[in-house]
Amino acid sequence: MSNFSLSSRSARDVAVLMPKGYINDMGAVSLERTSEQMLGKGMNSLIVNFSNVQYINTIGVSIFTGMVQKTLEHRSVLCFTNMKKAHRDVFEMMGLIKHVMVFADEDDALAFLKRKG
Amino acid sequence: MADRKLDLKRLMFSMASLADLGEEATSSKDLSSKMRAALYVITGMFSVPSAALFLYHPQRHYLELLVDKGQRDKALQGITMPILSEQIKRLRPNDPQTARDLAGHAFYQRNRGLWTKLQIEMFLPLFVKGEFVGAVALGRKLGGAPFRAAEKDVLRIVAHQMAITLHNARLFLDLAEKAAENKKLYTRMQRIYHDTVEAFAAAIDAKDEYTKEHSYRVASYAVAIARELGWKKQDIEGIYIAGLLHDIGKIIVDVKVIKKTETLSAPEICEIRKHPQISYDILSKIKFPWKDIGKFVLHHHERLDGTGYPNCLKEAELSDGVKILALVDAFDAMTSNRPYRDKLPLEKAFQEVMRCKGTQFDSKITNTFFRILHKELNGEIKEPQILPHLQETDMRNIKALASGLAM
Repeated sequence: MSNFSLSSRSARDVAVLMPKGYINDMGAVSLERTSEQMLGKGMNSLIVNFSNVQYINTIGVSIFTGMVQKTLEHRSVLCFTNMKKAHRDVFEMMGLIKHVMVFADEDDALAFLKRKG
Repeated sequence: MADRKLDLKRLMFSMASLADLGEEATSSKDLSSKMRAALYVITGMFSVPSAALFLYHPQRHYLELLVDKGQRDKALQGITMPILSEQIKRLRPNDPQTARDLAGHAFYQRNRGLWTKLQIEMFLPLFVKGEFVGAVALGRKLGGAPFRAAEKDVLRIVAHQMAITLHNARLFLDLAEKAAENKKLYTRMQRIYHDTVEAFAAAIDAKDEYTKEHSYRVASYAVAIARELGWKKQDIEGIYIAGLLHDIGKIIVDVKVIKKTETLSAPEICEIRKHPQISYDILSKIKFPWKDIGKFVLHHHERLDGTGYPNCLKEAELSDGVKILALVDAFDAMTSNRPYRDKLPLEKAFQEVMRCKGTQFDSKITNTFFRILHKELNGEIKEPQILPHLQETDMRNIKALASGLAM
């Protein structure tokens, strides 16, 4: 049984994804799938709020690698917010950070995207 | 110092990733799910957005795409890459190889189109004890950086683990394929067996035109009762066969006795009463895969009150199988024309069964029989097994009767 759930919301061309729990098995693949669907619907920006993420393993890294690749292909913006240091360290080590925009929280990310227009 | 710290972090991450891979590879998931999870672990280890895992089929000389990740083309599963034995020999076992490494290789040249389609950057041929089992194909790393030497070392370890996983999976697939073949063979043999037994039954019934299809009806009714009583599939099949063959002993009974329209003499009764024992003697020589067929057949003319034949057994000594056959054999006899009398109207046959309930027929079995009939009349049973054999013009009458008798 996967200890993972995902909620999302979207307004205009910004989608906010809120994963919860452990991103460490195939149950979390919905995150990759949902982001792909959002991009397909024309969302220009995706925000992933990590505040309820407890653990990310290699499968999780793979899921985020897929998300990064898709946003690059769609020339969209991927924002990570509310990240714990441990998660940020892993993404940095794996070279994912340079392809995403990191913000302290969701409001900062939304404010940035609003400014960016 | 910072580089060393990063290297140490990477090493720790690789070790944790290998543990993840081991966990996924040995999980109890089905092969496809297991391999997909393993592929996610591998792609996560190297930040590779796209990858594919191939299984080698030695008899067909090709690699078959088992699972993939991050491919633009969503219909890749099952796609194949031909590879010949001599081409396999040129691959470096469990060692990551780039397109450049394989440039002069016939295998690469032959599959260049697919190689490009899958954007393969690194090809990892998987071997177990010199036996080629499959391959992992990785796309470019996110950002396009080349694989570092340390990463190639980790890939070699990954290759060993994946090779063993795939090898075991293939053994399992081979076994599953053999099991499926055996099952098919078993089903075919079972069909032949049934056809043969049915042919025997037809031969028994053909001895007398009045008993045409009697064995088939007895078998059919018996199955309906056994099923209603919740018997196991194997046991239901057993009573079906017993029903078909219960009168096999009649083959040796003089046809004049069977077809006689007048009252039978004492010696003739004696002769006809031998048929359960003869049936048993014939069938007991056959090693049926179903238990008690011989006993069902031997005792199908016994009665609960001990006045039946051949052994005058009483209720406690009779199994449910015997009780079922006793009822359905007698019921079909009542509702069929015989040389010495016309068939009873259903109403009379039902009354006769009820009259003999508790002395000749078991109460539980009798109640079950009427309950099935009631259900069949109400359309509660998808494939009725009793009703189609009963020819009665006034179905409403039967319905009322069966409804009153069902318990």
